[in-house]
Amino acid sequence: MNPLELLEEEMDELVESFASTAIHGDLVVGLTQYTFWLAVATVVLLVLVFAFKNKQAKNGLVPKGRFVNGVEFLVEYCRDDLCKGLLGDTWRKHFPFIASIFFFILVNNIIGVIPGCKPGTGCIGTTAALACVSFVYFIVVGVRSKGVIGYIKSLAPAGVSFPMNALVWVIEVFSTFLRLVTLAVRLFCNLFAGHVVMGTFAILASLFFMPLLQSISPESLGLAGASVFWIAILLVIYAVELLVAAIQAYVFTLLSAVYIQLAEAEEH
Amino acid sequence: MGVIGYGLGVIGAGLGIGLAAYGATTSMARQPEVQGRLFTVFILGSAFVEALALIGFVVTLIA
Repeated sequence: MNPLELLEEEMDELVESFASTAIHGDLVVGLTQYTFWLAVATVVLLVLVFAFKNKQAKNGLVPKGRFVNGVEFLVEYCRDDLCKGLLGDTWRKHFPFIASIFFFILVNNIIGVIPGCKPGTGCIGTTAALACVSFVYFIVVGVRSKGVIGYIKSLAPAGVSFPMNALVWVIEVFSTFLRLVTLAVRLFCNLFAGHVVMGTFAILASLFFMPLLQSISPESLGLAGASVFWIAILLVIYAVELLVAAIQAYVFTLLSAVYIQLAEAEEH
Repeated sequence: MGVIGYGLGVIGAGLGIGLAAYGATTSMARQPEVQGRLFTVFILGSAFVEALALIGFVVTLIA
């Protein structure tokens, strides 16, 4: 019996298991598996923040120990690399927003990589909500710094003559709304695709190991050997997924910072 | 059929990430001081390219 024959059926089941299903109530008012893990991630984040605050208050401002140093490293990375590097002088105003988005997505992604848990960001609804928050934020920043008319005008670059000006403006408005879609879809697709790939290799490993449980023969031993190979690939992909979890949080935050900077920038 | 389409689509993404890595390594070799900034830009560019490939992957699975 060839284990690969069963793969297609199992794959369909796997992809279906990623769709939102209500575990309490229904899909309109209720709790899906993703919102549940979203709440778990929020609680974990809150616990981390308060634990950090407690430890810091106890030890004084000099960081001591792995936990405090680790959190401070992340916060400083976010501050220096994302805020100061991109936003320049106004970084202090936007730091709370940037840092909360970064840590929220990071904790969600990393909880999703733990076997048995699901990522809160692995569902298009969550990422679309996050993208909307970021979108509204940078538009409000733009309107505050330039005024409503000024912001709408500033979408088209200055110094372009009249007919081209209007065309460029239309394209820019389109691309501004496209940011909303790309922010949401990028995060969702990365998480979804990563988990599908991990799931596929896990299924392959179990399918190739199954014959050994039924009968011990040279053939089934060979298939079990292949199963070990799949597990090795699974471990490598798991490591890559940990990296992707961090990089996607970074990319989402970086892009939000870039958009804020563009909305705020003075005309040259 | 969808899988073939995904394969075709991923050619472009592969070329894009390859080009980005090529540019990043050459410029890092020429000017090692800007490594930090280049890495940020490289990750950002790869994320843009990779997103296209992943959209293809997800659409293949869903459709």
